[in-house]
Amino acid sequence: MTLTQLVKVARIQLVNARMVLGMPLLVLVCVLAANIVIFMAIQTPSPPGESAITGALISIYIVTLVTHVQTMTQMFPFALGISVTRRDFVGAAGLVIVGQALVYGVIIWVMALLEGATGGWGLDLAMFDLPFLQESNVVTQVLVYAGPFLLLSFAGLWAGIVFHRWGQLGVWVLGLALGALLVGLMALVGSQGWWQQVFDFFAETPTLLMFAGYPTLIAAILAAATYATSRRAVP
Amino acid sequence: MSVVSLRGVTKRYGDTRAVDDVSFDLHENRIHGLLGRNGAGKSTAMRMLTGQEVPTSGQVRVFGENPYENADVLSRVCFIKESQRYPDIFVARHALEAAAMVFPNWDQDFADRLVEEFRLPLKSRVRKLSRGQLSSVGVIIGLAARAPVTLFDEPYLGLDAVARQAFYDHLIADYAEHPRTIVLSTHLIDEVADIIEHVTVIDRGRIVMDDSSENLRSQAVTVSGPTKAVEQFSDGHEVLHREDLGGFTRVLVSGVPTGRDTASLQVEPVSLQQLVVRTTQFHDAALAGSGNGNGKGNGKGAWS
Repeated sequence: MTLTQLVKVARIQLVNARMVLGMPLLVLVCVLAANIVIFMAIQTPSPPGESAITGALISIYIVTLVTHVQTMTQMFPFALGISVTRRDFVGAAGLVIVGQALVYGVIIWVMALLEGATGGWGLDLAMFDLPFLQESNVVTQVLVYAGPFLLLSFAGLWAGIVFHRWGQLGVWVLGLALGALLVGLMALVGSQGWWQQVFDFFAETPTLLMFAGYPTLIAAILAAATYATSRRAVP
Repeated sequence: MSVVSLRGVTKRYGDTRAVDDVSFDLHENRIHGLLGRNGAGKSTAMRMLTGQEVPTSGQVRVFGENPYENADVLSRVCFIKESQRYPDIFVARHALEAAAMVFPNWDQDFADRLVEEFRLPLKSRVRKLSRGQLSSVGVIIGLAARAPVTLFDEPYLGLDAVARQAFYDHLIADYAEHPRTIVLSTHLIDEVADIIEHVTVIDRGRIVMDDSSENLRSQAVTVSGPTKAVEQFSDGHEVLHREDLGGFTRVLVSGVPTGRDTASLQVEPVSLQQLVVRTTQFHDAALAGSGNGNGKGNGKGAWS
């Protein structure tokens, strides 16, 4: 698995880059426009110095997740059909995802700057420069925006390859298993009276660690799971 | 020289043996026909020798190595299959561009000419392409890739007779200039009979015929005439098929009996299609007789 080989396979995944990389951005722009229109219409009188916050930024993260589900359900079988190995394909997908996360991180950072410069799009609207994501320097700010992209993109890859191998049933089983795990954890926390510690953890964890550190760690685990699941996958 | 070899290869799905203890070779610079009924195990065999599936047991070697996850080997192998799906976000051009990046011997001029000839609309979304146009995407990739081992698995579903002939013509012409190992897996045996140099027939996961076309053709004949004379002629040889009408009989014998009386008989050569079909039926009947079927063969499989 040489880097040249990875770059070659990454180029196959991006042979229609306009769709793969452009679609999430297009959705983001449309969602921004929709929010501007909505906030113009309702004209909430927000108290001076406080912006109206919208959670619409999550749209680009969701669309990116969906495109990477398709990376495994559609691009993967095609690539294997033209003699690409599973290892090279998953490696190249990782390369694309890391690059994409960083580029999107920079774009969102630029949008946050624009938002500040235009007085919240002229409406005191906060879609990019969200208070709980603020960092003091450019590099950590971009990483905070990029971290969730890594997490969700690799989650998309894994869900995609699970669907490709075991169909809807596989995805249901996976989803229910994760749900059960979550419920189990919550029961454990409740029975041990740990809720206060959990709240403190979320309140006290630095933004960088919360939005870049931990997501990257989980993304790495998901990447390993994707690779393991792809080993016996048939195009 | 053998470039691909399968030795005692079995692929089991649950209780079914899709491929059952199969051994055969593909020879360098030769056109092979891999023939058999629906569900006989052809596609499974091809998926194993392109590393897409792993055999349950046995050994697969391509250029002396295991093809599974072997990028070096796979870059020299091109497998075109009827069931190939393309990403929804692709237009036809994207599929060709992707193939051009993967296959080291890709000939863009040749691909362009084929696009012209097959009238493939490069800017159409793959979802909008007809069955025949999708097939031509595969055929163009398979030809222009010039991979040392190229496999075509029913590559021309939906292609009209003219397009199929164009495919054969290009295949032969390009093969003459750039010899390589080619496998054609198809039901249209008559159409490829003159092209294939080596025939491998697989039935119910087992090899029932594996020889050069020349040998096969010289070994089998159809004999017709009075029943008694025909029976004398074919005595001690394998009768693959027999038809009786009144006092007359027609048999397809394999292993041509020599030095026997043919005065009252009509002896004709056998077409490859006839030979393959009759051999498969013979094999099926033998299996049914011994109750040895693996449950995979379906009586309804069609040759069409």
